[in-house]
Parts: sequence; structure tokens; C-alpha cells
Amino acid sequence: MIADLPPGLILILGAILVPFLPGRLRQLYLLALPVLGGLQLYGLEHGSFAQTQIFGYQLTLLRVDALSVVFGTIFLITAFLNVIYGLHQRDAVQEAAALVYSGAAIGAVFVGDLISLFVFWELTAISSVFLIWASRNERAYRAGMRYLIIQVGSGVILLAGVILHAQATGSIAFDRLGLTNLATALIFIAFGIKCAFPFLHNWMQDAYPEATVVGTVVLSAFTTKLAIYALARAFPGTEILIYIGAIMTVFPVFFAVIENDLRRVLAFSLNNQLGFMVVGIGVGTPVALNGAISHAFVHIIYKALLFMSMGAVLHRVGTVKASELGGLFRSMPLTAVFCMVGAASISAFPLFSGFVTKSLTLTGVAEAGYVITWLVLVFASAGVLEHSGIKIPYFAFFAHDSGLRCREAPANMLIAMGLAAFLCIFLGVYPEPLYAMLPYQVDYEPYTTSHVLSQLQLLFFAMLAFAVLIRTGLYPAERPSTNLNTDWIYRKALPALVRWAMTVGAAVRDGVLARGRRRLERALVQITRHHGPEGILARTVTTGNTVLWVALLLAVMLLLNFV
Amino acid sequence: MDNGLETEDTGGPKGEPHWLDRKRTGKRVFWGLIALCAGLGLADFLYRRHGIFDFEEFPLAYAIFGFVCFFGIVLSGYPLRKLVMRDEDYYDR
Amino acid sequence: MIAAHLPALQIVLPLAAAPLCLLLRRGTLAWALALAASWAALVCAALLLRQVLISGPISYELGSWAAPWGIEYRVDAVNGFVLLIVAAVGAVILPYARTSVAHELPEEQHATFYTAFLLCLTGLLGVTITGDAFNLFVFLEISSLSSYVLIALGRDRRALTAAFQYLVMGTIGATFIVIGVGLLYMATGTLNMMDLAERLPPLAGNRTVLVAFAFLTVGTGLKLALFPLHFWLPNAYAYAPSVVTGFLAATATKVSVYVLLRFFFTVFGVGYSFEVLSVGKLLIPLAAIAILVCSTVAIFQNDVKRMLAYSSIAQIGYMIMGIGFATTTGLTAGILHLFNHAMMKGGLFLALGCVFLRVGSVRLEALHGLGKRMPLTMFSFVLGGLSLVGVPLTVGFISKWYLVQAALERDDWILAVVVLVGSLLALVYVWRVVEAAYFKPAPEGAAKVEEAPLSMLIPTWVLIGASIYFGIDTSLTVGVARQAAAQLIGGAS
Repeated sequence: MIADLPPGLILILGAILVPFLPGRLRQLYLLALPVLGGLQLYGLEHGSFAQTQIFGYQLTLLRVDALSVVFGTIFLITAFLNVIYGLHQRDAVQEAAALVYSGAAIGAVFVGDLISLFVFWELTAISSVFLIWASRNERAYRAGMRYLIIQVGSGVILLAGVILHAQATGSIAFDRLGLTNLATALIFIAFGIKCAFPFLHNWMQDAYPEATVVGTVVLSAFTTKLAIYALARAFPGTEILIYIGAIMTVFPVFFAVIENDLRRVLAFSLNNQLGFMVVGIGVGTPVALNGAISHAFVHIIYKALLFMSMGAVLHRVGTVKASELGGLFRSMPLTAVFCMVGAASISAFPLFSGFVTKSLTLTGVAEAGYVITWLVLVFASAGVLEHSGIKIPYFAFFAHDSGLRCREAPANMLIAMGLAAFLCIFLGVYPEPLYAMLPYQVDYEPYTTSHVLSQLQLLFFAMLAFAVLIRTGLYPAERPSTNLNTDWIYRKALPALVRWAMTVGAAVRDGVLARGRRRLERALVQITRHHGPEGILARTVTTGNTVLWVALLLAVMLLLNFV
Repeated sequence: MDNGLETEDTGGPKGEPHWLDRKRTGKRVFWGLIALCAGLGLADFLYRRHGIFDFEEFPLAYAIFGFVCFFGIVLSGYPLRKLVMRDEDYYDR
Repeated sequence: MIAAHLPALQIVLPLAAAPLCLLLRRGTLAWALALAASWAALVCAALLLRQVLISGPISYELGSWAAPWGIEYRVDAVNGFVLLIVAAVGAVILPYARTSVAHELPEEQHATFYTAFLLCLTGLLGVTITGDAFNLFVFLEISSLSSYVLIALGRDRRALTAAFQYLVMGTIGATFIVIGVGLLYMATGTLNMMDLAERLPPLAGNRTVLVAFAFLTVGTGLKLALFPLHFWLPNAYAYAPSVVTGFLAATATKVSVYVLLRFFFTVFGVGYSFEVLSVGKLLIPLAAIAILVCSTVAIFQNDVKRMLAYSSIAQIGYMIMGIGFATTTGLTAGILHLFNHAMMKGGLFLALGCVFLRVGSVRLEALHGLGKRMPLTMFSFVLGGLSLVGVPLTVGFISKWYLVQAALERDDWILAVVVLVGSLLALVYVWRVVEAAYFKPAPEGAAKVEEAPLSMLIPTWVLIGASIYFGIDTSLTVGVARQAAAQLIGGAS
């Protein structure tokens, strides 16, 4: 292989061939690309390669260090799992878009300068929207459009920040920036949009549930985690991130409780999980940063697993609305088991992957002395158990029997889910390989008696609360509904405001017109009589107008200079 | 599209409900959970857990916190539904 | 031997070929001759630019009359670059013209068409190469008169009125220019530009010179469709034959921008134009308004040709803004955009010509579902559109990058934002086309549409390809633009 070929480019360039390959060959090819990328990544040495000059700035397409390798590795693993999960479909658009999108995210992780970052940043936005549009219905088209505008907007803000930063410092290096001035603030906001900071988050709940079965799985892995990587690279130890992250962990908990669409519940849950990582980055100590990064690593796997299981349900049943599901364990027992592994991992049960990483973040927060933040995070952990740990598997596979009977998920989906579930348990039982990849030396033992006992108490008493709520009938029934989110502002309030302004404007105009109409009509009659057919009239006036402008401009120039 | 969706029951043999569907399974799970929680709670009085903050070592701290939070979260759904829940076709109208 | 006469050949070859085309009468023969002449012109232009970049400006005395009295052709980095743009666009468009013209014009007008085309090319090259102010006016008239003919050839009957309006406005513009040149002659007694540049500084306070400056600015402004003198352009572009629209959009306004540059920076000098008269204060607001207003107007157009025409006025705004800054970076951005816009807008109009050939209309409704039916054509349009928006890896990005840099150098935040907002507006109107072509189903029972023939696709893709290639490898364009900018700024001080 070429020595300094960025692994992301293998996927992006490889995608070009996808539409031209026939069935079986295409499947093999799709599987081979992430493997090739992985081999390339494995062979890389630490350092900066593939550098070129443009505009007098040095672009670095390949910067290999511990941080980029961790994210590059997990992105490649997920890209591979996603290919397996999507093998049953025959849709070149989705397959190529998923490859370009994964490749762009991997490419962005390895760049060493802000301009290249911007290019890949926008590429992830543009390529990923096809995964939403591939649903091929009006609803998805409109949601995709909103998603695209916000994502591209994030890129434009990033570019503005980069230009200012380059102006101010002369450097475009993508390293620790710190939140110091307008330039870095713009970059921070651009990252924040992709990371779904509170109030900048609604695109995720809006768009992810509209994507295709495979599309949502692919989407859930890359965009937000790329933002986490960018924050960890540029803004570690920025205090405001602690508070932003804490809010991020809490508010989705409440929205997820009342949400009926289970893929949207997972989107809220994704928001909540990102909060943990953002807090870890904000604390910025080696332990907390390790926690955030390792959490991103395992989170990608179990969140993909959960989205995969809901995707399998959607594929077989045609809906993921909690109010219409229930009792599916009869038809899809394996999917149910895999879903529960994912649920146990995200809830951080001991022996599952979430446990070994979330505790790292929590320890980091506690050691740095942020008591309230710590309490908030523990509270949010109970919330995770509610919406992802219990609600998802319970309402899809158990609860009251909906009477729906279908076949088990396709074999390729089961294999993908099986591999993901295996990774969840493997990393939960044996976290050392993951710890060894982290940027800072880890001296941390998750399996102490105190720790396991505390976590089990938290989780099982919370489950007890659930059991009591169900038995007493206090647990609210799922209802088909739309829940308002901040996108209400631009989907309802703004249009209403515009309509109102237009009505008022029209009224004013009508009033003015009514007064001026008589005079206008008389003038029109005059002009029509003198100048013949309407068409010629319009054109004559236009030429005349232009000449008027010419005269005016000349006069202005002369006046300006004579006086 | 053939997605294998069927509607007739293919459950257990001869009308016998699946073992997960039986009434007593649910009961057993519930009481088993209570027993497990009791055991975990009891452990706090036999073993002194270590934590970074003092209040972590208070007996049943995590248990109470978990139970109360979960209860609160679910119940908070009621007012929140009043506040933000709309019909499913809210944006399409 | 021939090398020494390159400047003359540059003009003489297409000029001599033009009447021959008319004599040949047969369309195909006329086309072949025009093609040969345009390629010869391209070779001349390339050789000239190379020579200039290696050994500095070339001065050529026509008929061996010495400079101040005889007519001098003068080539430096600035007009060498513009010559290359014009000749290259001409050479790329002519292969395309054959099929398109055969489809859009009646057989008996073909020879006329190629004659007018070559005359227009001659005129534009002449305006660019000449170092004599009055000679410039003559060539400008040659190019203008022939372009009126070219536009009037359009099949749509409205083309006649559009051409007439353009004729009226163009004549007013030309008149202003000749008045300006005449006033300059009155004040200095010379028509040679270098000579003028030497004699004008002592006359800085002279009112005649001042009036000449105003007339020249407004006259050239009319020619280059400076907002608000642009009203002739949308109709002219919309109703002209496809080839003509592509050619004029890529060259005519660019040459006028060059004329403006030449007068401001070489003849009057940067000090007089921008410090004494502060023409920048007039140009920059007009440019900003052009970017915002015309981009917005473009959004509401349902005829894609008209949409692109309004987009052109906005894009000219970018060039004028760069020039208005009167800094090296600003000028670099302006000159760079001159080239970049020629590539992308030329390519876009050619793609539209392909659509018109197959579908017979370029209204948005006619484009429904074309993404599947004419994949190569529509994809070239998308790439060109992305370049208009200024997406990285396209030339549009490079121009805007330098323009924003130039605005920020002056700490002018508002203008930087205007440029970015212009990009967003461009995204909207480009998107409307993409939406129609890729997301709207083809109308029920629509006739089967074939992909455009290769003879038209290849030129389209050459221009679109250039607008991608020069977005990635900027060494040639940025290098020349920077050298030209330095020359213009330095030439005056």
C-alpha cells in the first residue's frame, strides 16, 4: 500500500466504483474496503504525513497520534459492521453514501489542519444527507433538507472561524485552541452544532428517525463522535463544556420518557450519552479525557447495536412506534437478546462495556471536585436506564402482546448485531486492550467491590422503581404523538410569524393600492393608449430606466468629485 | 415487499402460552427483583463501600438515589406531556 | 520571426477569417474555418502569455509606426491573462457550436453566425491587446456590433427586442467611452495609454480629466453590467442562442472588467482613481448591492438561463468589489474571479445549451427528472453550481477565499459577511435546479430524452473540469493573478 495514504480516502475513493459492481462482487467489495482501511491504519506510524501547501498554508492530511488512532479504529470497525448490517439491501446510493460518509469522518479524524478539517466536515454533511433521502418519501426529504442546512451551516461557521483564526495567528494547525476569542468561539459553535449542544441539538431528533433502516445506524456512529473528537482535540479543559455537557445529559432524559418513536428515543439517548463525553472533555484531566474518549469508543458500538435492533424491527414490522409494538420476543428472539445486550451496555451494567468507561468519566469528574456535576451525571445514569435500558427492549419485545408476528431479522443483520454484542461484552469483561489505546496512561481498575456494588444498587433499585410503577399502573401508556422540540421555532413559530407579517403587509398594501388605484388606472390607460401593446411598453420603460440610471450615476460621480 | 409479517399466533404448542407470557412469570420476576434488591441493600450493612465523596459511603445512598430518580423521571413525564405533546400530524397540518 | 509578430497575428487571424466565413456560405466549411482561426488564436494567446511571464511586457508597433503616434499593442501579465481566457473560451466553445447552432438556427444563417462570432472574438481580443485608447473604442464597437447580431439570431422573437435594447444601451456605453477618450485627448494630446499615464499625473486637478474619468467609468460600467446599469443583460442572455450566451457570459463582461482595470490602474493610476477621486467608495457599495440583490432576484427566476444571467451580475459584483478594494489581495481576488467565473459560468451555460438541445426549454419545469435522463449534463451543471456557491475544491472557493481575505485585511466585516451571504443565496438558486432535476419525477408521458451528443458534452466538461481543476491546483491562476495585481498596483506608484 501507498505509505501515507489516509485510510479515509480508501473508503471515499472506493465508493466511486460501488454503483458499477454487480451483486455478489459488490458485497465482497463493500466488505473489503473497511478491512483495507484497517490494514492501512494498522501499518501507520505516529507522525504527520501527506502534507501539501495551499494559499501559503501547510495542509496535513495524515496526522497519526494516539487520539486520532483511537477514533480512526472505532470508525473503521463501525464502518465494517454497518456494511454487514446493510448487505441485504440493493441500493447503490445508500451504499456509496455510507462509504463516503464514513470515509469523510475517518479522513477528518486524521487531518492535522483546520482547512482540511473543514473540507471533510462538509463532506460528512453532504454525503450523510443521502442516507436520509434514501427513505424516498416527502417527509424524509424535508427532514433531510433541514438537516443539510444545519450541517452545512455548521461548516460555514467553522470556515468563518478558521479564516479569522488564520488571520489572527497565521496558523491553521488543528491542535489545542482554547476558547479565547471570536475566532475560536466560532469554531467552538461549529463543533457544538455537530455535537448537538443543547438548543443546537434538534436536527438529530428531527432527522435520524427519518433515515432508512441502515441509514440511521450509519448516521448514529459518525457525525456526533467526529464532533467529540474535534472538541477533545481543540478544547480539552474548557470549563463551559462541563456545564453544557451536564445539561446535555439531563434534558433528553425527560424528552425520551414521553417519546413514542423508539428510534427517536435512541436519538435522545444519543444526546444524553454525548453529554457524558462533553463533561469529560470539559474537565480535561487525563482520567476524565480518557473517560470521554473510551466512552465514545464503546458508545459507538452499543448505540449502533441498539439502532440496529430497532432497524431490524422496522425492517420486519414496518414501524418502531412503542404504541404499536410489544411482544416481539416470540418472533425475533435473537434480536431481542442482542437489543438487551446493548441496553445493558448503555445502562453500564457491570461486565458490559458501558460500565468500564462511564465509571472512568465519573471518577474523573469526582476527582476534580465537581460535586453537583457528578450528581447530575449519576441522575442521568438512572435516566439512561429508563429510556434505553428498559423502555426500548421492554416496549418493543415485551409489554403487552401487540399480536404482530414476523420472521426473525435477516441473517446479515443478526451477524452484525451479534458481532456488536460480542464487542460490548468482550470490552466489558476485558477492557485492557481499550485502555491501552487511550492517549494517557491508565491506572484504573473498574471492578472493585465498592464500585460494582454501588452500580448494582443504583441500577437494580431503579429497576425496582420501574417494576413498582408498572404494577401500580402509574407508568404512563405510550401514545402516538409529536413532541415539541426547539425545531418548533423554525417549523411553526417562524412560518406563523411570516404569515402574520404577510397578512399585515397585504392589508397595508391593499389600503395603499385602493387609494392609488384610481390614479394608477388613469395613468395606465394613458400609457397604453400612447405606447401600444403591453410587451413593448414594458421594454421601452426598462431601456428608459437604464438610461436614467446611467445619467444618475454619472451625475453622482461628477457631483462627488466636483464638490 | 415480503417482510415476513404474519398475524396468526405461532406461540407455544397447543395454545399453551409461552413461558414468558405466563402470569406467574411476571410475578416471579417482580419478587425475584425485590429479593435481589434486598440482598444488595443488606450488603451495604455488611461491607463498607469506598467512594470519593463522603456521602457515597452512606448506607443505601446509591439505592435510594436510583429509586427516587427513576420514579421522579417517569412521573415528570406527566406534566411534560401536557406541555409539549401534540398530535402525530402536528407538523404536517 | 513569427514570434515577433504574435501580437498582430492574435488579431489578424480571426479578423481575416471572418469575411472568408461569409464567402464560404456553407455552414460546415465556415465552422471549420472559424474553428481553425479560434484555435490559432488560442495558440497565439498561450505563447504571448508565456513570453510575458518569462521576459516581461511586450510592446508591438503596428505598421512599425513608433508608439505615441502609431498604434501600439501592449501585452503584460494582466491582459495576457485576459487574452488567454477569451481565446480559450472561444476555442472550447466552437466545437460545441456546430451541433447547437445546427439545431437552433436555420441553415442559411450559419455562415453569418460564424462570421459574427469571429468578429466578436476579434473585437474582444483587440480590446484586450491594444495599448491605444481610441483603438480600444474601435475594437469595443466591433465586438459590440457583432454581439448584437449574435443575440438577434436567437430563435425566440423576443431576442430581437433584447438585442435592440442591448444595442441602445451598448451604444450609450460606447458613446460615453468615446467622449471620455476624447476629453482625455483634449487634455493631454495623446491616445496611447502609456503616454497618457505619464502625462496625466500633473493634470490631477484638471476638470476635463475628471469628467473624462466619470464618463469612462460609467460607460465601461454599462458594458460590464455594473449594478444598476445591468438591465440589458438578463434579456440579452436569456434570448440569445445557447452558444452565444455561453460565449458572451464567459468573455464579454470579463473584457469590460479588464478595460475598467486598465483605465483605473494604468491610465489614471491607482493614486488618482482611488485616493484623489476615491472611486472605491462608489464601486464597493454598488458591488455589495449587486451581490445581494441580484442573487436574490436569481432565486425567483423560473427560466434557468435568466437565473444564471442574474447570477452573473452578482458574480461581477464580486470582481468589482475586489477591484474596489485597490489592494494587491483585492485585485488578485478580482482578476482570479475573472478567470474562475469565465470557466464556471461558461460551463453552466453550455450545460444549459445541452438541455435546450434535447428538451427544447430551460424552464425549471422542463428540468424535472433530468438528473436520470441526462446524467452527464446535469452532473456538470451541479459541479458548476457548486463552484458558483464556492464549495471547497472548486474555483469559486478560491476566489471567495481571497476576496474574504481582502475584506478582512481592511477590517471590513460587513463585506466579508456579504460575500458569505452571497454564497448562501447562490446555494439556494443552484439548489432549485438540483431539486428540479434530481428530486422531481419526470412528467407523465414525457418524450424520451437522450444524453447530449459528445461534441457538446466534451466542451461543457472541459470548462467544468477546468473549474474543478483550477480549484485544486491554483498555482497557475493565483500566480498570474498575483503578478498581474502587483503590476497594476506597482505600475502607478
